[in-house]
Amino acid sequence: MSPEIEALGESLEGAGYVSDPPTSTALFLATALPRPLLIEGDAGVGKTETAKALARVLGAELIRLQCYEGLDASTALYEWNYPRQLLHARIWEGRGEDPARTEAAIFGRDYLLERPLLRAITRREGAPVLLVDEVDRADDGFEAFLLELLSDFQVSIPELGTIRAEHVPHVVLTSNRTREIGDALRRRCLYLYLEHPDLEKEVRILRRRVPGASGELAAEVGRFMQAARRRRLGKVPGVAESIDWAEALVRLGRTHLDPETVAATLGCILKDARDLRELGGAELGSLVAQALEAPP
Amino acid sequence: MTGDLALGVASLGAALRRGGVAVGLADEIDAAGALALVPRRDREELRLVLRAALKVRRRDWERFDAILDEFLRGRAARPRRDAAPRGARPGAARDEVETGVAAWGAGRARAGEPGYSPAALLRTRPFPDCPGEDLAGMERVLERLAARLAARRSRRLVPTRGRGVPDLRRSLRRALASGGELASLARRARAVEEPRLVFLCDTSGSMDAHARFLLALVLALRRAAPATEVFAFNTSLVRLTPMLARGGVAATLDRISAAVPDWSGGTRIGDSLARFVLDHLAERVDRRTVVVVLSDGLDRGDPAVLAEAMRAIQERARRVVWLNPLLADPRYAPTARGMAAALPFVDAFLPAHDLASLERLLPQLAA
Repeated sequence: MSPEIEALGESLEGAGYVSDPPTSTALFLATALPRPLLIEGDAGVGKTETAKALARVLGAELIRLQCYEGLDASTALYEWNYPRQLLHARIWEGRGEDPARTEAAIFGRDYLLERPLLRAITRREGAPVLLVDEVDRADDGFEAFLLELLSDFQVSIPELGTIRAEHVPHVVLTSNRTREIGDALRRRCLYLYLEHPDLEKEVRILRRRVPGASGELAAEVGRFMQAARRRRLGKVPGVAESIDWAEALVRLGRTHLDPETVAATLGCILKDARDLRELGGAELGSLVAQALEAPP
Repeated sequence: MTGDLALGVASLGAALRRGGVAVGLADEIDAAGALALVPRRDREELRLVLRAALKVRRRDWERFDAILDEFLRGRAARPRRDAAPRGARPGAARDEVETGVAAWGAGRARAGEPGYSPAALLRTRPFPDCPGEDLAGMERVLERLAARLAARRSRRLVPTRGRGVPDLRRSLRRALASGGELASLARRARAVEEPRLVFLCDTSGSMDAHARFLLALVLALRRAAPATEVFAFNTSLVRLTPMLARGGVAATLDRISAAVPDWSGGTRIGDSLARFVLDHLAERVDRRTVVVVLSDGLDRGDPAVLAEAMRAIQERARRVVWLNPLLADPRYAPTARGMAAALPFVDAFLPAHDLASLERLLPQLAA
């Protein structure tokens, strides 16, 4: 591996993130080129965590924009502070101030509420990491708007003029693929597809994130999760679920898996009634037995 | 950026496009930029860098890897590019790339291309003729009904003159004209949203005529719902959407009949829908999408596969409509194994044998 990419991988490890070559390579390219990085993958594979780890490694502020259907510019970009504007307009009117000067004053930066996207480009201290989370949940119109912002890193506010980025932020977009991302936006970004981790990586993540879990418990949880993901499940549990489950087991004082505890805590990893039925009963016993067996 | 790097990336891009992996010029520029950043790389790293920079989607990984390996093998037959100093002789670089591409092409011809076989693509099978007055009548009806389709409201707010929630920004702007006095409130209301439709048409022998009717309907609907997706299936699944773009109804139907591989040995509805679930469901179906399946439900495959695929589709879609021409016969009961397996996962089960029945379909497609 190239030394720069290896070094980034090590910094990520140092920041508490278990990386792998595809992730390190993509993050290296995204910061070096620099280009926005689009991360896709199933729910719970650690897309958001990747952006957070990048922010920790760069020592940058993480600015997060959570997308949802109906998200518009006033929640994502900026909004005027209306009550304050109205109040001051009244006060100045009472003092007999010139209306033109009042207007100029109340459409100044002091009356602007910065939302995540504007904050990301106006930060003076250094380039932040801008996480646009679940961009597939926003609608097409917002995507087009985002595309414009990502190509110029400037924002036009009619009353105020154009604001240019002080430092171009490192942008990470994540998507669960609930909707296809437009081709134009996809082409603007570098691309990383995160898969569910293999056993070795999952155990390392569990050891790192759940320090209370013994090595054996982490390995058993890892083996159980690997086996469970091979079943036909409606909602495949991700690493996020593994971590929750391991934490729950530690809290219950368990050092090993046993069928009763697994049955009682299965809700930590399976969030679907059909999946619970699918893995319940005899099926569960054999999965636990598999997980308890140490590899040869 | 050195010349041979650009040429190498360009010829790899061309190879990927020929192999069916969508790669554009912008992606090639990204790839060249990325490769310049990682000068000493092994094969695995090259793969990772290219995957990120060329934006290769998960479903294309296997194809991408195969093409890349083939490409690199073609180049390895020549003196290694790392061995020669960079950009030593422009002629040499071009020569090397050309040989690489030629070797790649030869390898591909030997291995045989995965996916569609050209022979099956070329075997045409014209749809039976549809009476002219039906088509014309249908178009008239559809024009009247198309407007009704576009009725669902989005959660996005747009300025309106009528009712809606107050829009403070515009209100304040107006108030300034009257010295800060809020004389009237500007309002915003939810935008009207286009419906999203996905049609899955069974084009096996028994269904040809009906498929033709439905496709004519889809073509008319695309005016009200441009985001409509159309797939045809019999023994395999073909995405028809790109063929619907140009020309009139007749020309489009001809194009489609040329692209759908011939039917032989029976319909595999379950396998075709399972393929749809695997390749297209995540990207083309969401909570706004209505999925319409046109089929007689006579499946030669495993009903469990069909049931599983239908379950996945219903879970994701807003509504699933199954059109069955056999339903027109009052003596018909959906007892065929495939139909019985699919039925629990269908929201509306409707006939589709004439214009009137298709007319009844339209309210199902709107919100």
